[in-house]
Amino acid sequence: MSTNEVIIHTENLEKNFGENHVLRGITTDIKKGEVVVIIGPSGCGKSTFLRCLNLLELPSNGKILFKDWDITSSSTNINFHRQKMGMVFQQFNLFPHMTVLKNMTLGPVKLLKMSKAEAEAKAMELLEVVGLADRANSYPSQLSGGQKQRVAIVRALAMNPEVMLFDEPTSALDPEMVGEVLEVMKNLAKSGMTMVVVTHEMGFAREVASRVVFIDEGVIAEDASPEEFFSNPKSPRLKEFLSKVI
Amino acid sequence: MGAWFKDFAAEFTLNFINDDRWQWLLEGLITTIIITFFATIIGAFIGIVVAIIRSTHDKNIDTMKKRKGIGYYFLKIVNFICTVYLTVVRGTPVVVQLLIMYFVIMASSTNGTLVAIIAFGINSGAYVAEIFRGGIMAVDNGQFEAGRSLGFNYIQTMIYIVSPQMFKTVLPTLCNEFIVLLKETSIAGYVGIQDLTKAGDLIRGRTFSAFMPLIAVALVYLIIVMVFTYLVRLLERRLRKSEH
Repeated sequence: MSTNEVIIHTENLEKNFGENHVLRGITTDIKKGEVVVIIGPSGCGKSTFLRCLNLLELPSNGKILFKDWDITSSSTNINFHRQKMGMVFQQFNLFPHMTVLKNMTLGPVKLLKMSKAEAEAKAMELLEVVGLADRANSYPSQLSGGQKQRVAIVRALAMNPEVMLFDEPTSALDPEMVGEVLEVMKNLAKSGMTMVVVTHEMGFAREVASRVVFIDEGVIAEDASPEEFFSNPKSPRLKEFLSKVI
Repeated sequence: MGAWFKDFAAEFTLNFINDDRWQWLLEGLITTIIITFFATIIGAFIGIVVAIIRSTHDKNIDTMKKRKGIGYYFLKIVNFICTVYLTVVRGTPVVVQLLIMYFVIMASSTNGTLVAIIAFGINSGAYVAEIFRGGIMAVDNGQFEAGRSLGFNYIQTMIYIVSPQMFKTVLPTLCNEFIVLLKETSIAGYVGIQDLTKAGDLIRGRTFSAFMPLIAVALVYLIIVMVFTYLVRLLERRLRKSEH
């Protein structure tokens, strides 16, 4: 699925929280159409890395190029680039004072200057795909966790992003709702969307990822295809990690 | 019973009907409402501006520190001014502030009502600012991040996402601040303004009968507060509905 066009390039990315050196130099490429799954022990910096990609965390050092734009440069208008990078959070973060439909049309109407009718038609189309068209006029508090996360995914998709960032999208869900969210993500991957996914779902990584990246103590400890990654891990740290989680 | 009623009627006539004294109360009430109304507007305006400055400072100063642009120093200075304002206004009695405004800062003004509006507006602004700031900080940071990640800038996120949620949590406290302000304007008589309280007191001075005019004044305040509380409760119920 992936081509050779690099969408995100990070170069020696570092992040400190005070004395705490969370990222210690991460260099990698994310290519168009790739599904990159990032795993690692908690506190290893995988979420921080993801949040650096759209500058929700400002890197302390290093560079991020998004389609050859240096977004870490202070002259870059990050708001413009963020429109092209959808993000899905662990806690869904739907806007509780708006209906599902309003959640999905706010960005397209205000930022992409779509007409309300156009944005709503597009939103309904997306809701149809994830099986939630009948909840368009519900408020988030009326939805289950799995439904909320599916809405959060299509809210991000409504902006027509070029890459989707997932920050542990299933970690806050009841076990029986994990499947429905992963299903949506799988279909999204099949449609060719470029995705960067931080998750603990090894099954998803094995089945959907084009590349699995293992981050440990702020550096990339292993970066391989899923077959290679799970059946033939090289670094001792990854071997130990896999023996604990699988 | 008949004798009591006769006394009551005589007192009532003396205090309110003779010389059209009820008109004093009415004029006083109008002055009270004018002061409260405009002071609320000034207070809300100051409050929003100060709250936005203060919460922007608290949320962003650490990240801005790294880039140390002109915005960083500007925000630092404005935030410092706001902090001084909050400390001074909340640390001194409102009567003293009113006296200083009337006899020192605006000593050349002959319009007492205007002075009172400004003094109460500035006073109320400090309390409203802290109410709004608390409301902004109470909105989950994930809401903020979700807005930013869609591509909204800081101000758009504040307007479309944070402030509607903040307003809902803040409304009861804000209403309380309005009630406090309404009652606080009763000290306007200190600088010779004939508000509702002063009018009742003037009647008492003229008729040498304290009970009726003062109770009447108290009742008027009470009724306004009760009506207002009722309206806010309706509004709150309306807002709560929008979440289900």
